Amino acid sequence: MRKSAGVALAFPAWVWLLVFFVAPVGMVIWFSFGYKPGIFGTHANDVLSFDRYVEAMSPTFFATFQNTLWVGIAGTVICLLVGLPVAYWMAVKAPPSRRGLLVALVMVPFWTNFLVRTIGWQVILAPEGWLSSALQAIGLIDGPLELLYTRGAVLLGVVYNYLPLMILPLFVAFDRVSGPLREASKDLGAGRWTTFFRVTLPLARPGVVAGVLLVFIPLMGDYITATVLGGAKGNMVGQLVASQFQTAQNWALGSAMAVLLIIVIMATVAVGAGLVWLVTLPFRSRNRLVLGAAEPSARSKPVEEVAV
Amino acid sequence: MKQRSWSDVVLSVWGVLVFIFLFAPILVIIVSSFNVGRLLVSWQSFGFDSFLALFEKPAIRDAVWISVQTGFIAAIVATLLGTLAGIAMARHPGKWVWWFLGLLLLVSVTPEIVDAVALLPWLVFLGQDLGIGLFNDGIIRLVIGHSLFSVAVVSYLVRARLVGQEGQLEEASADLYAKPPATFRRVTLPLAMPAVLAGFLLSFTLSLDNTVIAAFVQVSGTTPWPVYVLSALRSGLRPEIAAVSTIMLVLTLLALGLVAYVLRRAGDSAADIARTMGGG
Repeated sequence: MRKSAGVALAFPAWVWLLVFFVAPVGMVIWFSFGYKPGIFGTHANDVLSFDRYVEAMSPTFFATFQNTLWVGIAGTVICLLVGLPVAYWMAVKAPPSRRGLLVALVMVPFWTNFLVRTIGWQVILAPEGWLSSALQAIGLIDGPLELLYTRGAVLLGVVYNYLPLMILPLFVAFDRVSGPLREASKDLGAGRWTTFFRVTLPLARPGVVAGVLLVFIPLMGDYITATVLGGAKGNMVGQLVASQFQTAQNWALGSAMAVLLIIVIMATVAVGAGLVWLVTLPFRSRNRLVLGAAEPSARSKPVEEVAV
Repeated sequence: MKQRSWSDVVLSVWGVLVFIFLFAPILVIIVSSFNVGRLLVSWQSFGFDSFLALFEKPAIRDAVWISVQTGFIAAIVATLLGTLAGIAMARHPGKWVWWFLGLLLLVSVTPEIVDAVALLPWLVFLGQDLGIGLFNDGIIRLVIGHSLFSVAVVSYLVRARLVGQEGQLEEASADLYAKPPATFRRVTLPLAMPAVLAGFLLSFTLSLDNTVIAAFVQVSGTTPWPVYVLSALRSGLRPEIAAVSTIMLVLTLLALGLVAYVLRRAGDSAADIARTMGGG
């Protein structure tokens, strides 16, 4: 009796999520097989087909999917390249007494209103803004800065907005790789770079995976950054979905686009995981490092070396 | 004193540069809030006029008030549901936990825009087709939209907190003849408390920040602050938007400081705090 009473604690959350998440998303999937009847209707489901998916893949919209995927992959890679050294610096090089402060500082922009931060970039990048005049004064550019309302501005905006989501898990991961392990590697004759690439980085892998997923998934569905900084040239799928529901009133097509967006995200993550597995295969066999599962207690577990 | 190698210097410089990058637009917004001019983008002169807008413009005041109300209610709902679910997952494991974690995972990976377009017709269906008047209320609609992701976050946090500490304390409490409700109230809840508090404050800030879902599910009359800013984006940004954002930033910082203080008193290190705030 006590057991079922305990499991019942989760009952309200089940109901809440089933009614307000599973049911509405299920309805969107159902809509996506329908069509838009006439000018005033938003959706109809008396004839079911995959036509809306075909329509969503037509050249006009396909370009936006391509653009979104490009921004998503480029943005995630840039976040990783920018964030990795910062997280390493925070966890390993910065004085331990200051780490708490640095973590708090990374989180401040994270918890400032997303939209307002993005507007901040709009102010900075404006052709008549101070960055533009400063760059012109130094002579780096000839005319006013023409970055705002392009794909480049969207890329900058998403890198900015999602960078904290990359730095935090990387910091946690590097923080778990203990100092003695690195010292041991150096004592055994490995240089600074060898230690980083063959001991620290492999052990921090869960953090890299978490960071990449935390950045890539919300980035692909981004709607705000592209709206504020992208203008007409930097369209993303999120805006496409929104406009089908708000202005075009074509819920069937909008639903198909939303479902496709989720499929594209999942497929990209799967393909990416496969590629990384293939590329690191030779390194892993060369490293001969069997890493203890990266549980929170990993710092106390010995790293076994096993001849393959 | 160890000699610093060139790579350490490069790393430090890079770190400082990235921090400047992270704070640049926030500083711009703070500076802009002291702009006495018609437009946010063009600087006129220094002054505090834009801060008065919070008192003079009912639309802005209402929007901020709606956001704060929604934030509180959404945080309470998410904390309640998430805490109970988290305790159930940690203390009553079984096959159902995997199903529930799978659902939470789905909730957290679904892009906000998809939640938004899904909730809009669903709430219209519940409110108008089924005639449940509750779902026509602006605040309730916002609370529902804002709570989805937060329920998942609080569940993760509470579960992570309790899984780390075995159930022996509860067993001891039962051995000492405490009834299950007393054990729950006097042992399990206090154990989970740091995660519950962190979850509450996270849910509140997440709700305050929510723009996408809010823009879709809101009904006129209950426009939350971010949606007000979004619509101002089309009609022209004025410095008062920066001023209100500055005030809200200060409030958010106070909330964050409180979380860090609570967690530190519970004995967590910087990395643990980061892990908790990062939701994993």
